Amino acid sequence: MKKIIGIVVAVVVVIALGFAGWQFLDLDPTSFAGGSTVALGDYKGANVTGVPGELASADIVKRGEYLIHAADCQACHTAPGGTPFAGGFAFNMPFGTIYSTNITPDKDTGIGNYTDAQFLAVVHKGIRADGEKLYPAMPYTSYTYMTDADALAIKAYLFTLPPAHAPARQNQLSWPYNQRYLLAVWNAVFNSDERFRPNTGRSEQWNRGAYLAEAMGHCGECHTPRNLAYALDNHQKFAGAVTAGWHAFNISSDKDSGIGGWSDEDVYLYLSTGHAEGHGGAAGPMGEATDNSLSYLLPDDVHALVTYLRSVPAHATDLPRTVTTPAPASHKEGVPTVSNPRGEKIFAGACASCHDWTGVSPVTGYATLTGVRAVNDPTATNVAQTVVNGVDRTTAEGRIFMPAFGEGYSDDDIAAVANYVTARFGAKGASLTGKDVAALRKQAAQQPNHQEASND
Amino acid sequence: MLTLNINGQSHQVDVPEDMPLLWVLRDHLNLVGTKYGCGVAQCGVCTVHVGGKPVRSCQLIVGDVGTRAVVTIEGIGNTPNGAKVQQAWMEAAVPQCGYCQAGQIMSATALLDSTPQPDDSDIDAAMAGNLCRCGTYIRIRQAIKNAAAKSA
Repeated sequence: MKKIIGIVVAVVVVIALGFAGWQFLDLDPTSFAGGSTVALGDYKGANVTGVPGELASADIVKRGEYLIHAADCQACHTAPGGTPFAGGFAFNMPFGTIYSTNITPDKDTGIGNYTDAQFLAVVHKGIRADGEKLYPAMPYTSYTYMTDADALAIKAYLFTLPPAHAPARQNQLSWPYNQRYLLAVWNAVFNSDERFRPNTGRSEQWNRGAYLAEAMGHCGECHTPRNLAYALDNHQKFAGAVTAGWHAFNISSDKDSGIGGWSDEDVYLYLSTGHAEGHGGAAGPMGEATDNSLSYLLPDDVHALVTYLRSVPAHATDLPRTVTTPAPASHKEGVPTVSNPRGEKIFAGACASCHDWTGVSPVTGYATLTGVRAVNDPTATNVAQTVVNGVDRTTAEGRIFMPAFGEGYSDDDIAAVANYVTARFGAKGASLTGKDVAALRKQAAQQPNHQEASND
Repeated sequence: MLTLNINGQSHQVDVPEDMPLLWVLRDHLNLVGTKYGCGVAQCGVCTVHVGGKPVRSCQLIVGDVGTRAVVTIEGIGNTPNGAKVQQAWMEAAVPQCGYCQAGQIMSATALLDSTPQPDDSDIDAAMAGNLCRCGTYIRIRQAIKNAAAKSA
């Protein structure tokens, strides 16, 4: 009997290891491209790392400023309304909350004492100056592809900032996730700890785009689904995932559920301005990524990103094709009132004046709902988040604003209006409940700094 | 310099493109009948017509108006439905404090333009975004019906 149990256990272990191996193989975020890669030093093409040609002769701080935008450090290292780069931004995970830290050059609470080697260890390996391991909320498995020169230019820029005294906030993680030493195992499996390797079978523009997307912009950290160990599953590269309570949509080449149906120009506009006519505007974390990072990239770099994004193979997911025809002008047509009277009533009072009953805004293209992925997402995740949190973006075209309705409306109200909006303007109506909205609020919540959150 | 068509007249204004239309109307063209309320398109007092549609002028940046015709409360009486609505408003003595009424009249006129004989549900859908802190909603509803009856 014991022998049989032993064999069963052994078989289970082998299957588990095999499954894990299959899951974890093919980790490289650019391996989908096939072909062969070379070390940067052996690459014959033009330099695909660093800053664009226009800035090649700029000093290290200026280069660092461009690169820190490209790597979008600010969005996560700044609490809402807080000092830029002083940390305190909350990551709400299923197993607890982690806070970003102060990366201003403050000697007590920031990185003021970091040597170059220590900074590189943080960026490439996720190991802080005191030897402790960072949680991979810091995307060092992406930044590990960054060159030493680029990371140190970013450091040089950070060291020109005014030091801010901002002690790290206490993470709230449950056991065993609060045992940092366990990350050694995670790192061994999931962090390649190698610098970017250009692909010799692809164009220089593609390689530049790959460097910007993987080593700098870390798109996959939100847009690629995670495996059981919470590492990126590049078998489903860019197929979309819910991160921080927002749906980071499928940006693979799939025509229906991804961006395969978008024109290059639309992808370019969306990346550089956070808006493309007929596709809506970025809100939430993508709005931040646009305003803090992508909008600073020079045109050639954005074109390189477009080229790279276009090459990512299609991964069909359960997002339906977006509806591109406007809803009827009369509220009586389209969604029957009886199906969701509460949602219709809220839409009439709070939404219709800007979004119109057709979904085509008479005010601004940013407010047009027709064709927008979020309203064509049957989970209505981002519709609910946008209603709760509003939109407040500062763009080259001015301020893009939608009020945050989260304080004024109940969870049931927000669920009702999100269900109405997805049914009226999207491919399939959502069926959110007040409970779902409460959960979404929690995932995206940012506690004010003066109020230490507790575990209860 | 931008050229705007307001109440049938051409106006040249030297303002930043991202200035809300409401500010241009009130502060640069002295068309102060249109009021400022919440500033976030949630109360309706700043409603004007742009290209025939009711629009919250606090949210529409002037650079986005383009060649679309703008009609404000100062000009609405020159349109057939606007005249009927204003007449009905006087007959029913709709306003109390009056602050929201310019916006109410603009939304009501746009409703009659698109739906000449609105029922209660049409009125709800078109007017729900126009708040009245005095609670004149019952008279607003009646005045809209009276104005529609004049067209019948």
